[in-house]
Amino acid sequence: MNTRLAITRPVNWNKIEDPVDLDVWNRLTQNFWLPEKVPISNDIQSWETLRPFEQKLTMHVFTGLTMLDTIQGTVGAMSLMPDARTQHEEAVITNIAFMESVHAKSYSSVFSTLCLTTDIDEAFRWSEDNPNLQKKAEIVLNYYHGSDPLKRKVASTLLESFLFYSGFYLPMYWSSRAKLTNTADLIRLIIRDEAIHGYYIGYKFQQAYNEAAPEVQSEIKSYTYELLLELYENELKYTADLYDEIGLTADVKKFLHYNANKALMNLGFDPLFPKDECEVNPAILAALSPNADENHDFFSGSGSSYVIGKHESTTDDDWDF
Amino acid sequence: MGTPVEVVDDNGVSTNTTAIESAMSYHELNAMINLWDKDGKMQLDKDKLAARRYFLDHVNQNTVFFHSLKERLDYLVENEYYEKSVLDQYRFEFIEELEKLAYSKKFRFDAFMGAYKFYTGYALKTFDGARYLERFEDRVVMVALALAEGDEGIACSLVEEIISGRFQPATPTFLNCGKKQRGEFVSCFLLRIEDNMESISRGINSALQLSKRGGGVALSLSNVREYGAPIKKIEGQSSGIIPVMKLLEDAFSYANQLGARQGAGAVYLNAHHPDILRFLDTKRENADEKIRIKTLSIGVVIPDITMHLAKDNEDMYLFSPYDVEKVYGIPFGDISVTEKYQEMVDDPRIRKSKIKARTLFERIAELQFESGYPYIMYEDTVNNANPIAGRINMSNLCSEILQVNTPTTYNADLSYNEIGKDISCNLGSLNIAMVMDGPDFGKTIETSIRALTAVSDQSDIESVRSISDGNHKSHAIGLGQMNLHGYLAREKVHYGSEVALDFTNMYFYTVLFHALKASNKLAIERKSHFVGFENSKYASGEFFDKYIDQVWAPETEKTKELFTRSNIAIPTQADWVELKASVQKYGIYNQNLQAVPPTGSISYINNSTSSIHPIASRIEIRKEGKLGRVYYPAPFLSDETWEYYDDAYEVGPEKIIDTYAVATQHVDQGLSLTLFFKDTDTTRDVNRSQIYAWRKGIKTIYYIRIRQQALTGTEVDSCVSCML
Repeated sequence: MNTRLAITRPVNWNKIEDPVDLDVWNRLTQNFWLPEKVPISNDIQSWETLRPFEQKLTMHVFTGLTMLDTIQGTVGAMSLMPDARTQHEEAVITNIAFMESVHAKSYSSVFSTLCLTTDIDEAFRWSEDNPNLQKKAEIVLNYYHGSDPLKRKVASTLLESFLFYSGFYLPMYWSSRAKLTNTADLIRLIIRDEAIHGYYIGYKFQQAYNEAAPEVQSEIKSYTYELLLELYENELKYTADLYDEIGLTADVKKFLHYNANKALMNLGFDPLFPKDECEVNPAILAALSPNADENHDFFSGSGSSYVIGKHESTTDDDWDF
Repeated sequence: MGTPVEVVDDNGVSTNTTAIESAMSYHELNAMINLWDKDGKMQLDKDKLAARRYFLDHVNQNTVFFHSLKERLDYLVENEYYEKSVLDQYRFEFIEELEKLAYSKKFRFDAFMGAYKFYTGYALKTFDGARYLERFEDRVVMVALALAEGDEGIACSLVEEIISGRFQPATPTFLNCGKKQRGEFVSCFLLRIEDNMESISRGINSALQLSKRGGGVALSLSNVREYGAPIKKIEGQSSGIIPVMKLLEDAFSYANQLGARQGAGAVYLNAHHPDILRFLDTKRENADEKIRIKTLSIGVVIPDITMHLAKDNEDMYLFSPYDVEKVYGIPFGDISVTEKYQEMVDDPRIRKSKIKARTLFERIAELQFESGYPYIMYEDTVNNANPIAGRINMSNLCSEILQVNTPTTYNADLSYNEIGKDISCNLGSLNIAMVMDGPDFGKTIETSIRALTAVSDQSDIESVRSISDGNHKSHAIGLGQMNLHGYLAREKVHYGSEVALDFTNMYFYTVLFHALKASNKLAIERKSHFVGFENSKYASGEFFDKYIDQVWAPETEKTKELFTRSNIAIPTQADWVELKASVQKYGIYNQNLQAVPPTGSISYINNSTSSIHPIASRIEIRKEGKLGRVYYPAPFLSDETWEYYDDAYEVGPEKIIDTYAVATQHVDQGLSLTLFFKDTDTTRDVNRSQIYAWRKGIKTIYYIRIRQQALTGTEVDSCVSCML
């Protein structure tokens, strides 16, 4: 436990020790959303056009994502709390944890809108039985329960910036084929959040890492690459489980490389995979942009671009006419 | 139609195609325009490649082949794809010539988006949806045949205007003309709801019927009594307007036009209705599911008095529609709140509550940040500019239709007692760049007005009598405009600059003249004018004052040059005097002539920028239910025009409002005006723009769009649309 926090102090937002805390807090609160915002039911027709194995694949992907968000919401984010460097960081972490739970729940709202209960149950059973998904959870949970704060941050960043993306691939792929576009909107909202989470935890990691002794640094660095490779090996198998039937495994693999490099970048480390192994399908890459800049048609969806606005009262001068 | 033609030429197709690219599908190629290449350059040629691949890999392989036009038409009529009566109006040889004319124009889609949109959404398909039965040229010919109503000359003119990209009918017309299994040609309906259960249930019924036939429907709720109002004199009984909104929302999501698109609806409410804050809160992010409105659009009708009360930072009174109707004998929506405000405040028979006027505006702005809604209609501005006798109390789903209406009353058995007048409007838009390049400005407009009038003539919405009656009386149409930004950029003029405003002003001025002239010509030919012409400002001549008492001429050399280069004569005062005399003598055929819609789909097919807006982005990311995510480069975008393509967020609200203001003065109905803000702006910035718009005489505001930039460090590298 950080001794600085041993005395209870009220959090003072007027005294910011690290401006990134405030930046990220503002962005996260501005981005607040709930799954009810997105009219998933507009995807029902489109869902019916998917072939049975495509539907099954989609549900498996979503249970996998639900699993990760469950871990991150209940264990992952909270395990970062004791090592918070500032009180504001603690506040940000509570927000991250909460939003992870929102994400986990939003997959359920996709399920309940599109699928039958029996299918949902099957998909959840699959997630419990799939050895590679279970292994993935086990590896991450292991480090969350470990004692090293730097390692916890590494695990968390890899989860936020790397592990989610084998799942995120599919809704992006569907939406580029004009399928499940509202579901894709919801996923894009999640990606918008995860991008910030990964960036923020990585940033906090770098701060602690830079203060650490050289030998600790080199240990952490080799640990990071080892963990990444361990997860990567497992992720390849998991990806094959999911995507072999639809024939997208090779494409998803490149996407994994791209995101693995991105996760390393968030941690301040050099990329692992060479550039030409990261040539992501342009339709997926272009769909990933976390900027809220798409021009959606309001009549078929709500878009993923609206935010909670900043309130400011008008003054008499504004009304001078 | 002969053998399938190679539709995309090889021009502009990159020759150094890599193996990976040739294996890529058109979706991937299209997405590449949103990514920089390895050297950090735009990859616009990839979009052309995508269009080409789309034809090679998809369209050509899935188009039904016919040996001759005769074989094709016979097959399509026999199998109930085409409407026989449309073709029967013409000699077969003529149809053959018309097809030849269409194909001789060598039409090419400039962007993948245009081709994809056309074949996904418009082209006739086999009933199982698997194969195409039409190419673009065939669709254009069918539209022309249907709208020319047997007149070969007009059919030829229409093919010329449409295939050259000058005139583009709105989606329902372009989609449905000539098809046997089809929805209506009309885009847009506006219905009143009165303060009784008969009218409410009729409203829901009409919403279903009209959605089924393909239109967007707006309903006015201003007349409906508020939450807690008495029913049969028993206090506290009414549940207000929210449950009505819920019913409507469900009705719209149930009905769709043969699956072609989902029903869409809007409701309008006067700002002084007691439920106004509840109405707005239905769009809250954290609203309870019971009251939350997801897919129904909402709009607020704001009279001038509200602006003045906000200016003085005073309270604004909200008036019970139930009491107002009892006192005045007419529905709340038909009363000018600005005029009667003090009187109603002082009248003890009218129940009222109050809120801070500025609170209302702040609330509106907050919701616009969260959801883009509500639309705004400045009621008094609209009515002051309205040349037709009567009152305008609402707008439509896209906030460009502004017409008068009257109430319908019902008998106890739900039959009609007196059929009032509700509103429908069919639209079509001109591509400003193509019109400026065209050979005959006046003829383009006349042909367009004829086409739109034909749509009105051929429309008969029997299921909603107030609509069909209104249409027969008014022949209202809405000629719109698009590709303003595209044209300006091509001519190296910055959007919102002095030259741009000057050009926009003169363009709309000239369009108005020719539109009126065409409608006058129709009145002369048909010896008939719209019902109520006698009481209009056209008949009194008052409408023409501002064009006769004052000279309208370009103020900048550049604008003068643009018109001279295009050989377009700008109407003089003498021209107006002459037109006025003819209008006063013979009338005009159409009660309403112009309305500038937001032009989504049709501007992609037409390779235009939307409406008279600035572009949303140089590479627009378009997301729609039917399309998924598609990337659309601004028309005429090149290294040379790059700097003239500031996007709407960079242009900022003020210049957009200025542009719309100069256009608005020449448009009898409205113009869909979307405002664009960055997420760093506050509700105050939004309010200031609303005040500015009102001061400049803007009639309506459509959506508010917000753009949020990715937090530094989280963006996707190499993404074009991320770049500022």
